Amino acid sequence: MRWADGLGLLSRLVVGGVWLVAGILKLPDPAESVRAVRAYDLLPEAVVPLVGHALPVLEILVGACLVLGLLTRLTAAVSALMLAAFIVGIAQAWARHLQIDCGCFGGGGGQAPDATAAYPWDIARDVGLLLLSGWLVWRPRTPWAVDAVLLPEPA
Amino acid sequence: MASKRSKATRRTDAQAASARAAAIRQEQERKERRRRSVIVTAVAVVVLVVILAVATALRSSHDTSGVAAKTVPSGTVGRYAVPAGPASAPVKVELYEDFMCPICGELEAASRTQLQQDVDQGKVQLQYHVMNFLDRNSTSEYSSRAANALAVVLDSAGPSVAKKFHDLLYEHQPQEGSAGLSDAQLVDYAVQAGAARASVSAGIGDRRFQRWVDNVDNHASKAGVTGTPTAVIDGKTVTWSSVGDLAAKLQQAIDAG
Repeated sequence: MRWADGLGLLSRLVVGGVWLVAGILKLPDPAESVRAVRAYDLLPEAVVPLVGHALPVLEILVGACLVLGLLTRLTAAVSALMLAAFIVGIAQAWARHLQIDCGCFGGGGGQAPDATAAYPWDIARDVGLLLLSGWLVWRPRTPWAVDAVLLPEPA
Repeated sequence: MASKRSKATRRTDAQAASARAAAIRQEQERKERRRRSVIVTAVAVVVLVVILAVATALRSSHDTSGVAAKTVPSGTVGRYAVPAGPASAPVKVELYEDFMCPICGELEAASRTQLQQDVDQGKVQLQYHVMNFLDRNSTSEYSSRAANALAVVLDSAGPSVAKKFHDLLYEHQPQEGSAGLSDAQLVDYAVQAGAARASVSAGIGDRRFQRWVDNVDNHASKAGVTGTPTAVIDGKTVTWSSVGDLAAKLQQAIDAG
């Protein structure tokens, strides 16, 4: 099972690292995150600011938990849900010919002239991260995880 | 009867009892571990949710883009736009721009002369919404400073000087990613456009209408503007494939009256 341990650890670090970077890059400009969420033209305006303000924080928390291996199964499940939502968001923007920057790593809410070329890559990246998150939901026990200390019961 | 049991039977009974005791002990330990896991998980989840809620509230309170500015420049139309041309003009074109946006610069270069003629002939009222979402694309928040400067010029010298100032800024548009024009240069161009130095330099220096500029950006986002340049004619966003195409479509709409 060594390869499974390795894959689990790698998944935690890769998925968690991406979330951390994505969240931290969005920290400086709360209004920008709101615009990025709004640009997808998917959520009702009443919840757009809340989602825009909460999302970067959630990304950092999920990222930190995965990197540390804290509540791995739960945070991997949240990670998978968020990625699924992002894939839906990008896919519908693509399908509706919206020309937007995905805003995945800050920026966003902006027009991207080459948006249609970027959408497939954004989706491919998110699908990859979704698969790794799914692996962690299935096999949350990984080496060098805080969970091993906090939660002695085998998963 | 008990005394009649053989040694072997008693040994088996003892083994069974000790196995039962071990099983109970194991079961208790398992329950204990499980209890501990549940408590630790619950505590961690609560801590995480509290952090999420507090940080989100903090970000919310730092985001003032939706809080209406107390100081709004005089001479705007629809609160958020800098007008060029008479309110009585038959065609109204809402333009959404950012002073740091290179394609806006190209559009201005392609359409400036003709649009100014149209404005002078009273055929159109241009309504410039100057946004600041590209603040990150300069090292000195040039988008905000330039938009604020335009508001200061409009407020103190009126729309026609503001239009000249707007055009001057696009003629001398700085490179994307640079520091942009300095406040002193903004003041100089304002004076060149016809504003009085004494009445604009303070407002440009202290970003008097910064909150209003944030409001413009927020308003544009809510209006569905996801990029610049965007042109809206009679409530309809103009779709375009190139700057030349957009300039031609604007002119068509203006000529059609």
